[in-house]
Amino acid sequence: MAKIEFRNVVKRFGAIEVIPEMNLVIEDGEFVALLGPSGCGKSTSLFMLAGIYLPSGGELLFDGHVVNEVEARDRNVGIVFQSYALYPHMSVRDNILFPLRFKKTPRDEAFARVKAAADLVRVAELLERRPSELSGGQQQRVALARALVKEPQLLLLDEPLSNLDASLRLSMRTEIKSLHEQLGVTTVLVTHDQIEATTMADRIICMRAGRIEQVGTPDDLYLRPSSLFVAGFIGSPPINLIAGEAEAGTVTVNGARFPLEGGASGSVTVGLRPEHLRFGETGFAGRIAQIEPMGREILYVVETGMGAVRVLEQGSSAGHSTGEQVMIGFLPENSLVFETARQKLIAGAHVRAPE
Amino acid sequence: MSVQAIPKASTAASEPAADWDALAARARGVRRTKAVVLYAFLIAVSLPIILPYFWLVTIAFSARSGVAETAVLWRSMAVVVPAVVAFWLTAALAQSRRQLWIGIATVAAIAVFAFAVLVGPDLHVGNFIFLWEPDFASVVRSRIGEVKGAVQFPNVWHAFGNSILIAGAQTAIVVTVASLAAYYLSRFQFPGRSSMLRSLLVLHAFPVLTLIVPMFLMLYWIGLLDTLSGVILVLVAFELPFAIFIMKGFYDAVPWDIEMSALTDGASRRQAFVSVVLPQVRNGILAIAVFTFIRGWEEYIFVFTFLIRNSNWTMSLYMYWVRDDVMGVDYGVVSAVGVFYLVPSLILYMAAQRYLMQMSIGGVKG
Ligand SMILES: Nc1ncnc2c1ncn2[C@@H]1O[C@H](COP(=O)(O)OP(=O)(O)OP(=O)(O)O)[C@@H](O)[C@H]1O
Ligand SMILES: [Mg+2]
Repeated sequence: MAKIEFRNVVKRFGAIEVIPEMNLVIEDGEFVALLGPSGCGKSTSLFMLAGIYLPSGGELLFDGHVVNEVEARDRNVGIVFQSYALYPHMSVRDNILFPLRFKKTPRDEAFARVKAAADLVRVAELLERRPSELSGGQQQRVALARALVKEPQLLLLDEPLSNLDASLRLSMRTEIKSLHEQLGVTTVLVTHDQIEATTMADRIICMRAGRIEQVGTPDDLYLRPSSLFVAGFIGSPPINLIAGEAEAGTVTVNGARFPLEGGASGSVTVGLRPEHLRFGETGFAGRIAQIEPMGREILYVVETGMGAVRVLEQGSSAGHSTGEQVMIGFLPENSLVFETARQKLIAGAHVRAPE
Repeated sequence: MSVQAIPKASTAASEPAADWDALAARARGVRRTKAVVLYAFLIAVSLPIILPYFWLVTIAFSARSGVAETAVLWRSMAVVVPAVVAFWLTAALAQSRRQLWIGIATVAAIAVFAFAVLVGPDLHVGNFIFLWEPDFASVVRSRIGEVKGAVQFPNVWHAFGNSILIAGAQTAIVVTVASLAAYYLSRFQFPGRSSMLRSLLVLHAFPVLTLIVPMFLMLYWIGLLDTLSGVILVLVAFELPFAIFIMKGFYDAVPWDIEMSALTDGASRRQAFVSVVLPQVRNGILAIAVFTFIRGWEEYIFVFTFLIRNSNWTMSLYMYWVRDDVMGVDYGVVSAVGVFYLVPSLILYMAAQRYLMQMSIGGVKG
C-alpha cells in the first residue's frame, strides 16, 4: 500500500505539453477516479505512475520517496490496460503466473497465489484456456487477477470497463469496488464515464486538457462543481446552463428576471440540473417540445424564452404531453451561479425562480 | 414466415417477387461464368509449371543409356495432364470440404495407378550413380567409350554439406540480426530512422549482379576469396535489408501495451522482448528463415564467382559442372542431380507453407 504524490509533474511529448503541471495527493488505501474527456491526459498520468512514461519535470512520490527514475518493474504496480493486454500465446494460468516469474516466487507458493487470485475474480475454471477463447468480461477479470497476484502497492485501472456491455459493466463495477474494500490497495481508476467515477471512487479527480479542474468526493463535484466544465461533465442528463446578466440582485435572462441571493454582477451562467426542476404553478414558462421516456424517469425538453431546458421527472408514464404549456420551478439552494468570463462557481450565490 | 401478420405488405411484396428470381438467376449465371474463367486460368497456369518438374523427375528415374525416351515422357504426360485438369475440376465442383478431400484422393489414386501401369515398368535408380560413385563422370563416359577428360568431381555429399553450411549459416545470421534490428526500428525513435527504412527498400531494388566486381575485389583484399565464409557474408549483406523490412511489419503488428504490461509485471526490457514479443512474431521469423535458407540453397552467381577450389563447390556449382561435363553424354544423370538438388527446398517449402502464407500478410503491414 502506498501514498501517492504528484509534485509539479510535467509531461511533454516532444514539443507537445500534455500535462502542464499536476499536483495531487492520493492517500494510502484510497480509491480515486481520474475523470475527463478523451485525450485529456488520463492515461498519460497513469503511465507515469506505472513507470512506463518518465515525467518531463517535477517529482512523483510513493510514500514520500521520489520514484521518477525507478523502473517500471521495480515499482510493484499492478495495471489493467484498456485493451487488457493479455499475453495471447500463454494460457490464462501462465498469464496470471507471469508477474511471479520475475519475483522468484517458489513454485508451490506461486501456484497457490495464482489459484487464489483466480478465485478472487472468479476465473478459476478458465485457467487452461487461451485469452482468445475468453469473453470480454472474462479477459477483463484475468487482467485484474494478473494485476493483483503480485500484491501490488498500487493498482491502476485504465478504462477497464469500456469494452463491456451495459449489464456486465454494472456487475464489474460492484465487483471491483468490493475487491478494493477487501484488499485495501490504493487504486486509481481512469474513466471518461462520470457514472463509473461517481459510483466507484472515494474521490474524483476531474481533468481537462492536462489540468486538474477539481478534486473532491462525488457529492462535491455534483453539488458544488467548481467550474462550468465540471458542472457540465458530471450529471446525466447534463445540467441546463443559462447565460444571463446579474445586476442589483437579479439575473436577467432574455427578459425573464430571477431574484439573486448572494453577491454577483456582470455576465453569469445559471446552472440548473434537470432532476431539480419541477413543473408547477409558478416559475418560468415554456412549451413541451419533446418527451423522452428513460425507464423510471421521463425527460422533457421544454422550449422556453431562454432556450431549450431539460426537465427530469420521476415516474414511468408521462404526466404531460407535447405542446403543453408549463411553468417550471426549482428550489433556490439547488441552483448554481457561475461567473461566465472565468467559468468559475460563485460560492454562495443562488437564484430563485421568478414569481 | 409470418407473412399473414402484415397482410397489406405481403401483397405489395408479391409483385416484385418474380423480379427477385430473375435477379438471383442472373447473379448465379455471373458467378458460374466467373468460376469457369477462374478454373480455366488455373489449369492453363498450373500445367506449364508442373509439367517441367514432372518431366525432370520422370527422366531422372527412367532414362537409360543416356537418352530420355520420348515414349515414356508422352505416356507420363498422358497421366499428368488429365490429373491436373481433374484436380481443378474437383476443386471447382466440390460442395464441401469432405467432398473436396474425397475427390482429390480419388484423382490422386487413379493418377498413381495409371502412372504405375504406364510408366512404372520403365523406372529405375541407375541415374543416381553419383550418390555412391564419386568418379561417376568417368563411368558414364566410358559407357560410350569416351574415357579421357572427365572433370574431377568432389563427392556429392561434400557439395551438399557446403550448400547446407552456406544456407544454414546465412539463415542463422540473417534471422538473428533482422529480428533484433527490426524490433529496434519498429519500437524506438532515433535520428535517421525514416531514411534508414527508406534505404532498406532501395538497397533491395539494386540488381545484385552490378556489384559483383567490387565485391570480388573486397573479398580478395580481405582474404576471404574462395572461402565459404566470404560467400556467406556477401549473401547476408544482400538478404538482410528485405528480411528486416518484413520483420518490422510483424513487430508493428504486436500491440505496444502487451510489452508495457510485461515491464510493469517485473520483466526487464530484454525479458519482455524474449518472453512476450518474440512469440508473437514467431511466424515472421519462420518465414524469413525459410526464404533465406532457400535463397542460400539456390545461390549461384556469388558461389560461381567467389568460389574456385572444387572442395568448396556447392550443389549449384556441382549441378553446373555436371551439366557442363555430362550433358552431351547422359541426360539421365543430369536430371537425377537436378532432382537431388531440388528435394531439400521442396521439403522445406512444403513444411513451412503455412508460415510463408503469413509472410505476405504480415509484410503488407510494414
Ligand atoms: N506517445 C505520445 N506522443 C505524442 N503525443 C501523445 C502520446 N501519447 C499521448 N499523446 C497525447 O497526449 C494527450 C493525452 O493522451 P492520453 O492517452 O493520456 O489521453 P486519455 O485522457 O487517456 O484519453 P482517452 O480517454 O482517449 O484514453 C493526447 O492529446 C494525445 O494525443
Ligand atoms: Mg486513455
